[in-house]
Amino acid sequence: MRRRWYNLVFIGFASAALFLSACSGNSNKKISDDIEIPEEIFGDDKPLLISQEAMEDIIDNISSPVEMAALLKSTGVPFSQKLLASTNRIDKLNTNFKQALNLGVYGCDLGYLNMYEKTGSVINNMTAIKSLANELRIGQFFDFNTIKRLATNNENLDSLMYISVSSFNNMDEYLRQANRGNISSLIVTGMWVEGMYLATQVAKGAPEKEVVERIADQKLVLNDLILILKNYKSDANFADLVKEIERIKKAYDGVRITYEMGEPEAKEVDGMLIIVQNDKQHIDISDETLANIITVIEDVRNNIISL
Amino acid sequence: MKHIIKIILALFIGFQVNQAVAQSDELVNVCALGIGNATYLKDYKVKLSASSVSPPSAKFNVIMNKGTMYKITVCNAEGYAGEAVVQLMENATLLGTNLKPDGTFVTAIGFQCQKTGMYSINLSFKDGKEGAAVAILSYVNM
Repeated sequence: MRRRWYNLVFIGFASAALFLSACSGNSNKKISDDIEIPEEIFGDDKPLLISQEAMEDIIDNISSPVEMAALLKSTGVPFSQKLLASTNRIDKLNTNFKQALNLGVYGCDLGYLNMYEKTGSVINNMTAIKSLANELRIGQFFDFNTIKRLATNNENLDSLMYISVSSFNNMDEYLRQANRGNISSLIVTGMWVEGMYLATQVAKGAPEKEVVERIADQKLVLNDLILILKNYKSDANFADLVKEIERIKKAYDGVRITYEMGEPEAKEVDGMLIIVQNDKQHIDISDETLANIITVIEDVRNNIISL
Repeated sequence: MKHIIKIILALFIGFQVNQAVAQSDELVNVCALGIGNATYLKDYKVKLSASSVSPPSAKFNVIMNKGTMYKITVCNAEGYAGEAVVQLMENATLLGTNLKPDGTFVTAIGFQCQKTGMYSINLSFKDGKEGAAVAILSYVNM
């Protein structure tokens, strides 16, 4: 009886702790309306091929899709709605694997929409993101109301971009701390593939040098991507995804990257230290190799969005 | 009675930890507002203890892309004596730091990247003092 009383007190305090935790976090981290389930239940307890620390390092290293979108915009290529993944088939994404991969895809599209200030379409995209994030029990990281307000009123687009990107960063940090690196790796993969899809489709129409070079130097990221996905290859879905990414890697065989070293220069301008790197990077990619990369990326991306 | 004290203590510690997280998130928000004509990419939070012998530091790896001008802005948390020193490294080579030879700080570091690859951002506190800070990585809108 006495023990039962202690258990009841413990449950009471634990609930209070959860409530207080939710209240004391910032608005991006408020707890969702859903009943929270301990994350350990969903974690993959199989041993990893690489350490958790190494994996976090790799995931952190994969470039932000916002950078790719910024590059596309800087070349003067106009926005294209038809490049974006449809948000009509959210209901068909009925497993965590499909949801996480496609969350990455929509996350990348959100960066593209924000970059081109297509705030009208942000709401649709954000609705899809919120829905998938809720399914994955990470919806609390998206302050949907604030994003909706900023997008609807077309106000403070810098804030819209900041909230969107930081929401994904916070979510990713939380997933890894909660031992859900498998979900994190899928989101990152979805984002990377979609970013590459946008870039390759642009290059297909107008092969601007900067865009082609950015596509080519993603060769450096591919091994890392495969490494983190292989951690979970005991799952058949992951094993299939590794094969898909390996197809992309194969298409990159013809890309050659060489370097010429130089001394960096630094100067202070208006209180800011400006460092100019004088190393040079030379990229050699034939039209045939580029065409092959474009085809394979398109195929892999379309497979992801039709899962 | 012991159990109840333990529970209250756990609750108190949990609350304090959460407050600390909330404060660091708030610092990120404030710091991100001050990046000027740049777009936020990532943030790195550090809280390091004091040490005069071997000042602790935190290292964050990041891939930077050719043709992009990056900016690293640092904000120190209130209530700590430590002032954050940020170093941008490429392997073992120091590309630049916000700490000037005269002991003062530049407001930010700009890096015109000409070579896609892995770089690292090292954070420590001047004179090994205890400190908490946030570094924001952004790219400059050209």
